[in-house]
Amino acid sequence: MKKLLVISVTLVGLALTLCVPVHAQQQVRIIPAGNTPLVPAHLVNGPVPKLADGTVDLTGPWQGGGSNQDIEREGGLKPGELPLLPWAKALRDKRKERDEPYVACLPMSVPRMNPFPWKFAMSYTAKGLTHIYVLHELGDAGAHRVVYMDGRKHPDDFIPTWWGHSIGQLNGNTLVIDTVGYNDKFWFDSRGTPHTEQLHTIERWTRINYGTLVNDFTLDDPGAFSRPVQLKFTANLIRQDLELMEFICAENNQAGIAGGFQLNNEQR
Amino acid sequence: MRTKLAVLAAGFGLCSLVAPVVAHHGFDTEYDAKKKVSLAGVITKIEWTNPHMHVYIDVTDASGKVASWNLEMASPNTVLRQGWGRNSLLPGEKVVFEGYGGLVVETRGALARIAKADTPDKPLFIQGGPEAAPGFPAR
Repeated sequence: MKKLLVISVTLVGLALTLCVPVHAQQQVRIIPAGNTPLVPAHLVNGPVPKLADGTVDLTGPWQGGGSNQDIEREGGLKPGELPLLPWAKALRDKRKERDEPYVACLPMSVPRMNPFPWKFAMSYTAKGLTHIYVLHELGDAGAHRVVYMDGRKHPDDFIPTWWGHSIGQLNGNTLVIDTVGYNDKFWFDSRGTPHTEQLHTIERWTRINYGTLVNDFTLDDPGAFSRPVQLKFTANLIRQDLELMEFICAENNQAGIAGGFQLNNEQR
Repeated sequence: MRTKLAVLAAGFGLCSLVAPVVAHHGFDTEYDAKKKVSLAGVITKIEWTNPHMHVYIDVTDASGKVASWNLEMASPNTVLRQGWGRNSLLPGEKVVFEGYGGLVVETRGALARIAKADTPDKPLFIQGGPEAAPGFPAR
């Protein structure tokens, strides 16, 4: 069944990518859209651009580079390979997609990426590069994810938050981000993979060529996983004339009406 | 030559888009793959809002009864990045459309395809139905 679906999708996709000139007087181009337009394929393998100070330019904007529907599959593991503890596996299997906080316009957090663009925004002061902001068109719900680049350590004590506390450093073409202090409210994917406040993530973002950014991701959460796990995600450079646009998720979120369910109080 | 260019430009403005269906929350949670409809009507309102555009269409049946459909579409960001403008689709226009009815509220549907009534084979928007969801790179 799945094979038939894949074939059908491929055929539909192929059919829709072809230009369909009806005749010269009535030409209509059918353009496959879907997600954010990416840079043309022939540019992807170009050299990694540098900033004026010689360091790698990680700006983007990018699409992808994280989980969305299933962190296990999208992170490069086979079904069942994600070392979830039994309670976490049971919770994941019980959860319903419609109950994900993201559906209620709450933050998607790490390492979730939806099909909308995002970028690293470098912030300089007289002391140099002190902060990197990760700006998502959608999914940060009005927060700003900040990575402290000034050499500070994590605080000893904190209130758990949706995006946690991130410290980072640049090693050549790789930005290493170490994060703790997450709350347990967001889901890793629409499938419902859970975590606890013990979550500690390490992202190693490497721009391997002009159009590609790899996220080597370490997930370490002894509260929900039996051991740390290594995942890998890839982000793609979007077409360079495009900018992040305004996206106010809460302005007209009608999720639940067609399906006859209401977003619960915790999600609102 | 100029006429051909003008027609081509107009055609480009009316480009068809393909988008993953309701990518950020599953199709099955809200819509019914068995309730596919193919109807004609008049647009009464268009909401250029996030997280989804909404196109409201009044459909009059043979007996004269009017059903008001509220159809969910892609984010305006998605269609704007692919060449739509404010005048691509307007209230008052006669359209033909395909969609999937809601699980509970049938006229609160997911838009699969829409075209102006006088050019039904030139869709302005095409969105994969439920058959496009599995395996689609809708990250």
